[in-house]
Amino acid sequence: MLKPISSSDWNFEKAAHLLNRAGFGGAPAEIDRLVELGPEKAVDSLVYFERTPDNTTNPEWAKPDPERVNRFMEMRDAPPEKKKEIRQQEQRQEREHVQQLRYWWLQRMAFGPRPLQEKLTLFWHGHFATSVQKVKSAYFMWRQNEIFRRYGAGNWLGLLTAVSKDPAMLIWLDQAQSRKEHPNENFAREVMELFALGEGHYTEKDIAEAARALTGWSIDRPAQEFVYRPRMHDDGTKTILGRTGNFGGDDFLKIIVAQPQTGRFISRKLWVFFGSENPTEQFVDGLAAVFRANGNNFKPLLRAIFLSEEFYSPEVVRQQVKSPVQWLVGSVRVLERDLPPPQLSINAIRILGQDLLAPPNVKGWDGGLSWITTNNLLSRYNFANYLALGESPMAMPARKNGRRPRMPQAARVDTTKLFPETVQKDKERLLAALQKRLLQAELKPEHQSAVRAYLDSQGEIDELDVLHAIRLVMSTPEYQLT
Amino acid sequence: MNEIKLKTRRDFLRSTVLGGAVTWTIPSFLSQTFNSLQAEALNQSQAITGKDGTILVVLQLAGGNDGLNTVIPYSNDFYNKARPSLGIKSNLLKLNDQFALHPALEGLKEIYDAGQLSIVQGVGYPNPNRSHFRSTEIWQTASDSSRFEKYGWLGRYFDNACKGSDPTIGVTVGRQMPQAFSGPRPIGVSLENPESYRLAASDSPEEGESGSSMDFIRKVNEPEAETNSGASIGSVAGRVSSKLSPLDYLERTALDAQLSSDKILSISRKASNQGAYPASQLANSLKLVARLIGGGLSTRVYYVSQGGFDTHANQSGTHERLLRDLGGALNAFHSDLKAQGNQERVLIITFSEFGRRLAQNANGGTDHGAAAPMFIIGPKVKAGLLGGAPSLAPNDLLNGDPKFTTDFRRIYAGVLQNWLKTNPEPILGRRFEPLSVV
Repeated sequence: MLKPISSSDWNFEKAAHLLNRAGFGGAPAEIDRLVELGPEKAVDSLVYFERTPDNTTNPEWAKPDPERVNRFMEMRDAPPEKKKEIRQQEQRQEREHVQQLRYWWLQRMAFGPRPLQEKLTLFWHGHFATSVQKVKSAYFMWRQNEIFRRYGAGNWLGLLTAVSKDPAMLIWLDQAQSRKEHPNENFAREVMELFALGEGHYTEKDIAEAARALTGWSIDRPAQEFVYRPRMHDDGTKTILGRTGNFGGDDFLKIIVAQPQTGRFISRKLWVFFGSENPTEQFVDGLAAVFRANGNNFKPLLRAIFLSEEFYSPEVVRQQVKSPVQWLVGSVRVLERDLPPPQLSINAIRILGQDLLAPPNVKGWDGGLSWITTNNLLSRYNFANYLALGESPMAMPARKNGRRPRMPQAARVDTTKLFPETVQKDKERLLAALQKRLLQAELKPEHQSAVRAYLDSQGEIDELDVLHAIRLVMSTPEYQLT
Repeated sequence: MNEIKLKTRRDFLRSTVLGGAVTWTIPSFLSQTFNSLQAEALNQSQAITGKDGTILVVLQLAGGNDGLNTVIPYSNDFYNKARPSLGIKSNLLKLNDQFALHPALEGLKEIYDAGQLSIVQGVGYPNPNRSHFRSTEIWQTASDSSRFEKYGWLGRYFDNACKGSDPTIGVTVGRQMPQAFSGPRPIGVSLENPESYRLAASDSPEEGESGSSMDFIRKVNEPEAETNSGASIGSVAGRVSSKLSPLDYLERTALDAQLSSDKILSISRKASNQGAYPASQLANSLKLVARLIGGGLSTRVYYVSQGGFDTHANQSGTHERLLRDLGGALNAFHSDLKAQGNQERVLIITFSEFGRRLAQNANGGTDHGAAAPMFIIGPKVKAGLLGGAPSLAPNDLLNGDPKFTTDFRRIYAGVLQNWLKTNPEPILGRRFEPLSVV
C-alpha cells in the first residue's frame, strides 16, 4: 500500500522531483513555488489541471476537411500526370501539417500551463502508440492527440472507448477494414496484449472472438468519422474471457475493463512511467486497489502516487533515464530559453530516438536504458552544445594560445537570466548554482571536480565560460537522468 | 605505412586520464569523468579479435515476414487453396519442383545459383507466441517461450567469449540497440552515420576535416528520411537490461562512445562501396557495414534491420517491395564484400519473429503465424534447402500455422560453434544440436 508523504519532509528536492516527473521540470523559482504550496496543494495544482485555463489555439487545419475526399476522387479519375501532381501536393501538405503538429505539441509541453496534462498525453501516445506513417493524416493524428489530452486523466473505459473509435486507431490497426467474413485480429490482439491486459491473460481464442465482436467498427471516409456498419458486423454468439453473448465492440471493451487484471496492468504501466521500473507485484496490487476503489479513474491514482513516500524514495528519485522529449523540453525549461526552430527541434528528438507521432511500433518506445546507445549519447552531448551556446559550432575556449572561437550567431542561453552576476563571479557558488538549476542534485564528486577544474582553468569567468560550463554539466551521465 | 592507430580502452585511459596535458576540450572533460572506470578497464586484458576473424551479420526482418510467400511451396495444393488471390503463381524463381523464391528475390536467386545461399525451412520454436514483441524477445534472447531471459544471445556471446574486447566488438546500425546485444554490462556500439558519430569538435575543424558540430547541425536540419514502413511494425529492438545502475550504465556507454567514435570515422573513410545497392534504408545500413568491414574494424557481429513486414492488409505490393529491397541489398552487399576480398570472412543470417498464417485474410493480407524460413549467405555455407518444409495439410497445422521443423537455436548453435568458433552451450543455456550451416 502507498504510504502518504509527510508535509514536514517537503523540500526543494522533492518538489523538483514532482515537477520533473509529473511535468517536464522547471527553473528554481518554479520549484520554490511548489515548495511553498506544501505537498498536497502542489500535487493538486498539477493533478487538477482543469482549474488552470489553457488558451492554446488549435492548428488552423485541425478540422474535418470535406474537400479531401473530393480531391482523392479527382485524383482517381485524373490522367496520370495530373494524378501524380495532386498526390505530391497532398503529401507535401500533410507533411507540413504533421511537422506543425509536432511543434505545436512540443510548445505545449515546454510552455503550456498544464504540465501533467501534456505529460499524460505523452504517456498515452507511447501507450496507444500510433504512427502517422500509416495513418497518413495530420488531422487524424491531432484528433487522437486531443483524445489523450481530454480523456487521459479521466476514466479508463472512457479513454479506451474514445481511442478505439477514433479514426487514427481504426486505420493504424486495420480495424476499419475488418468484416465478418474474415475478421482482422490486429486491433483485438493489441487491446489485450498491449493496451489493457498484458501477455498471458488471454488466449488466441479470445482474440479471434473479440475480433468478431469488433467487426463493423469502421470509418466514414467523407465525414472523417467513426461509423458502425451493421452489414460488416458478425452478430453471432461470441465467448470472450469466459463470458458468452452476442457481443459488439462496446461490450468487448466493457468486458476488458471489468477484468481485475486491467487495473493491475495499467496502474503498473503508469508507475513505470512516472515512478520506477520493476515495481514489486505487491506494490502494483496496492496501486490497482486505489484505481479500482476510485471507479477506474486516473486522477485519484495519480494523486496517490505523487503524494506517496515511495514516489520520493531513493530508488525512484533521479533514477530514470530521460526520454528524448523530456531531455529537450526539460532542457529548454531549465535553461529558460525558446525551443530551437521547428525542423531542428523535431529532428533532434528523432535523432535522439523519439520521433513523435511515429513510434517504432505499436508497443511504443521501450524507454529506460534503451534510450541510451553510444550513438544517442553522443548526439545528446552534441545537442547540449547547441542548446547552450547557439547555432555556430562552438568550441571550448582556447585562451592559452590566444585563439577564441567565434561568438554564437543564433539563440543561445541568456546567462544573466539564470545566474546573478555575483554568482557568476564566484566559482564555488556558480558550481552549486549550475547543479541546482540543471540537476536539482549534486554531481558525483569526480564529475564535480571535472567541472570545477574547468572553471579554475578559465581565470575570471565570463559569459562564454558559463555557457561552456552549462554544456559540460549537460554532458554528464547525471544530466541524462531525472 | 598508413596504419590506423587502433586505440584500445586501455590506451585511451592511459593517455587521457593518467597522463597528458589537459587542454579544455569536451573529450578531455569527459575522460576526467571516467575516473571511476579506469581501474577496472586497465586491469582487463585486451582481447582484440584482430582483422582476420570471422564476422557474422545478423539481419532482422521486423514485423513477421510471410515465409510462405518468400520461399513458395508453389506445387502444394494446400498453399494454392489457402491463398486464392495472395498465392504467387507466376514468374516464380524455381529452386526445384516444389519450391520457388518470390519473383522479387532475383538478388537472392543469383546467390543461390552460385551455391552461396542456404535456406533453412520451417524454423521456429515450441509453443510459438504470436505477439511481435514476445516472439522477437524469444528470438533475441534464445529463450524457451515459457521462460523470460533478460540478456540477448549475442550479449551472452560477447560476455562469454569476448571478455575485455573493445566496444566495437558488436556494431548495430540504427538508433536502437537490439535486445540481442543486451548483456550484464553494455557492450557494442550503435550508429547510423560515422560522420555524425562524434562529439562536437572542441576547436575549429582542421584542414580537410569536416567539423562534426557542422555535421550535427546539418543533420538536424535534414528533412525526415523516407522509410518503407507502412505497417504497425517499423522496427522491434526489444528492451535493454543491465546489471549496472543507470548512472554506471551511462558512464560506461559514454566511455565506449568516445573510444569508438574516432576509430569508426577513420575506418569508415578507408573503404568505399562497390556494387549496385538499391536506394533504401537497409541498403544504406549494409553499405556502412561493408565499409567498416573493408576498413578493418575488429568487429565480430554486425546487426542490421529492415522493417515493415507486418502485412495484415493489402500485402502483395508491400511485400514485393520489401523483398525486392531485401534481395537487391543483400546481393549488392555480397558482391561488395567480394570486391573487397572479405566475402570469405562474412556470414549473413536473416530472421523474423514469426512467419504468417497459411490462409490469407479478408483484407488481402495475412495474420501472425509461426515457423518460417531463414536465409544464410556466405561462400562457405551448406548451400541449398536445409531443414524440412512443414506440412501444410490441415491436420498438420497448429492453429492454422505451419509447425516448425527446426528450432532456431540449432542454427544459433551452429553459427556459434562452426562460425564464431565458440562453445554454444554456456551461451544458449543448454545443448541444442548444432545445425551445420557452414
